[in-house]
Amino acid sequence: MSEPVLRTENLTRRFGGLVAVDNLNISLPGGRLHAIIGPNGAGKTTFFNLISGLLKSDGGRVFFQGRDITGLKPHQISRLGIKRTLQIKSVFPQLSVAENLWITGQAGQRFLHPFRAASSDRAAWEKVERTLEQIGLAGLAKRAAGTLSYGDVALLEIGMALISEPKLLLLDEPTCGMSPAETERAVQKIRELARTIDIVIIEHDMEVVFGIASDITVMAQGSILASGTPKQIADDERVREAYLGRPEDEDYVEEAVHA
Amino acid sequence: MSAATAINRVMMAAFAAFLVSVPWSVPALINSFWVSVIAEILIWSLFAASVNLLFGCVGLLSFGQALYFGFGMYGVAIGISDLGLSFWPAFGLGIVASMAMALVTGIFAVRLTWHYFAIITVVFSLIFYFLALSNKWLTGGDDGINFTLPPTFTFGGTKWALTDPTFQYFFILTTVALCFWLMHRLIGSPLGKAFLAIRDNDVRASLIGLNVYLLRLIAFVLAGFLAGVAGALFAFFGRYASASYMFYHVSGEAVVWAIVGGAGTLFGPIVGTSIFIIVREVVSSHWEHHGLIVGIVAILVVMFAPKGVVGLWRQWLTSLSERTVTPADAAPVDIKLRTEP
Amino acid sequence: MEKLLLLAMNGLIWGLIIALIALGLAIIFGLLDIINLAHGDFFMVGTVLAWATLQSTGNFWLAFIAAPLIGFILGALIQRLVIQPIHNVAALSIVATFGLSLILQESVRITFGPTPRRILPPIQGTVPLFGIDYEVYRLFAAAVAIVAIGGFFLFLHRTQLGTWMRAVRHDRDTAIAMGIPAQRVYVLTFAIGFALACVGGVVAAPITTVDFRGGVDILPFCFMAVIIGGLGNLPGTAAAAILLAFLEGVIQSVANPTVARISSLVLMSAVLLLRPQGLFKGFAR
Repeated sequence: MSEPVLRTENLTRRFGGLVAVDNLNISLPGGRLHAIIGPNGAGKTTFFNLISGLLKSDGGRVFFQGRDITGLKPHQISRLGIKRTLQIKSVFPQLSVAENLWITGQAGQRFLHPFRAASSDRAAWEKVERTLEQIGLAGLAKRAAGTLSYGDVALLEIGMALISEPKLLLLDEPTCGMSPAETERAVQKIRELARTIDIVIIEHDMEVVFGIASDITVMAQGSILASGTPKQIADDERVREAYLGRPEDEDYVEEAVHA
Repeated sequence: MSAATAINRVMMAAFAAFLVSVPWSVPALINSFWVSVIAEILIWSLFAASVNLLFGCVGLLSFGQALYFGFGMYGVAIGISDLGLSFWPAFGLGIVASMAMALVTGIFAVRLTWHYFAIITVVFSLIFYFLALSNKWLTGGDDGINFTLPPTFTFGGTKWALTDPTFQYFFILTTVALCFWLMHRLIGSPLGKAFLAIRDNDVRASLIGLNVYLLRLIAFVLAGFLAGVAGALFAFFGRYASASYMFYHVSGEAVVWAIVGGAGTLFGPIVGTSIFIIVREVVSSHWEHHGLIVGIVAILVVMFAPKGVVGLWRQWLTSLSERTVTPADAAPVDIKLRTEP
Repeated sequence: MEKLLLLAMNGLIWGLIIALIALGLAIIFGLLDIINLAHGDFFMVGTVLAWATLQSTGNFWLAFIAAPLIGFILGALIQRLVIQPIHNVAALSIVATFGLSLILQESVRITFGPTPRRILPPIQGTVPLFGIDYEVYRLFAAAVAIVAIGGFFLFLHRTQLGTWMRAVRHDRDTAIAMGIPAQRVYVLTFAIGFALACVGGVVAAPITTVDFRGGVDILPFCFMAVIIGGLGNLPGTAAAAILLAFLEGVIQSVANPTVARISSLVLMSAVLLLRPQGLFKGFAR
């Protein structure tokens, strides 16, 4: 792919005196699963917020598939095909699981009919059922999303990401707070998704990162510290020092180095 | 059919049957004065429904719906007494005026959320309240305008006018029922689901592609429509319009009715309004301070039963028909999601 | 010209009184995040307490002690019994304060009746000022308001309780983490808010009517001051109150009072929409 799916030019965002994202120049080629890692406060979520339009940048530009999307509103960016999940799992708690998926699928429509019954759109509901199967939540379809366990909410979020037919999927710490079993399930789903969708994932869990990412970018203090394949990152002295210093990460790092 | 649905259906059928029978059953059981009280309840529940649409379904608490009520009311009154319009054009004027006002004010108001939205709705309604007060030549100020009612339908020789209490009652009932039916369709529609999504989590809604601002504006105009119809009906009912009905107390009372009845439910506004107006009628013949009761009930409901009567009823029904009780979700509590930097 | 001067001075002094009341609203709104629709009625209660004190003891000055004290106690009770329990349905606190407003108005109407009363100013007479004969009491009222506002800021900046209040307002979570008893601060805030409004009520009672509806007009004015001054900006709120009342007074000399009120409201809308942090940003936070 010649044109990177996502590219930023000198992207900057400040909060008062703090520079959260500092003249970031990043270029993410398509067809890959890209992981962004880094210590807390490195600016990873701010970066996602800037891309998805929740924050306005203080400088710089963002390009999606070659198109300048700087300054667009969140719903416009979403309709262009960039979907994301949030760090704190959030869905529509008083809607049912099925309705959550349904509204996500319909959200991009130009016109929402005010009087026809929502249940009458067969095609849309069939899609919802298929997605429910895919994420394994078919049994919970009628439950209000607010009553779901944390792991199920995360799966629902992934389901919502699926049904929205994204061109670029930004996942913000998708396995955060999950049990090992739930993490396993989630990783499976993400791998499946990555076959057809460009994904950028922020993660702290090194096992997940080194397990599924094809490229890794390390951020620190708003800038890029290093970028490359998992092996390159694992080899990188600066990265090891700055970030991968935890003993439990060593195994994964060793594996990647000798991969 | 589950027990809950069956109970609901029976109750609604009974309620509908009662409403249809009012012009005959009520004078027989109580007295004919109460027919007009019930007619008034219907009108005010439509007004409470406008508050409910915004708060219960979209999550926007407006304390200024009296403004659109006022425009509906004055549209009719000024239309008939100054512009010489007949019934239906005046009705139309009232509705168009209130919707136009909702659109214009909504464009600005809907940009704000939470407290600031509530405040600005009050401010807008106060501005027009004072304008109405000071332009007595047009609005009659606090004293208001009185007018005589043109006939509603004229078929050849026969005239049907609201001066006939039975006709008036059925006209009001039909209009209000029609509006409630429209609301029912709306909630079940794609647009209605989008509203609920915005109410639950507006950040998420924008991320999945919903244009939150535009949808809120649409809801605001629809709520203005409901308030305007209520205002127009009120003017027809009383042959009277007065600026005092545009004051924020009127808006505030409707908020209380909607919440006591059950925010976010279809019949909540009717239940809430009925409770308060019936209490007012019953109490005020012996004691003039029913406002105290309104205040106390408002506080008690917020403290102990924020879901309101219909909300609690639904909860009870659900616990009957399902093993697992669906969530103890409070009345649309604002689940403010802050995306951290 | 004389009329302008008179109305301008009246406006200025009234603005000082409103500033006092609005500061009470500002801390309730700023700290507790509550739109207090009953705040005007807190003021009204102050005027009623002034009248009641005068009636029962023949001494107006006692009201300056009695009213804030009673206001403080009432405020604390209301916070503990009503506001505190509903903190998890925050959207509905506005409904609760609306209910409170109705309760206060009706209670006063029940006990004191619907007819408005007047209190004669305890200090009679006029004094020549800028070429007009100006009521001495109004000047006294201004002085009291200034002293009260000053006292309030002193409390806020020089006492431990005041510092706690400022800390919680600035950053709730950090304040709690530092061990500041947030709950007590909330009670204190509401109580002081009520008390300030009562002081305003006592001061204003001789120059306005004592009536169960006395708060209805004050409420929008206080909100205007808070919004235009900037939420969280206490000096800004005070400044806005004084400025708004002064401007309304001036406008009143050439147009009718309703026009003045409408212009203030329009200004308030503009601030809400365009500059929600208020006009007086940059003042001490």
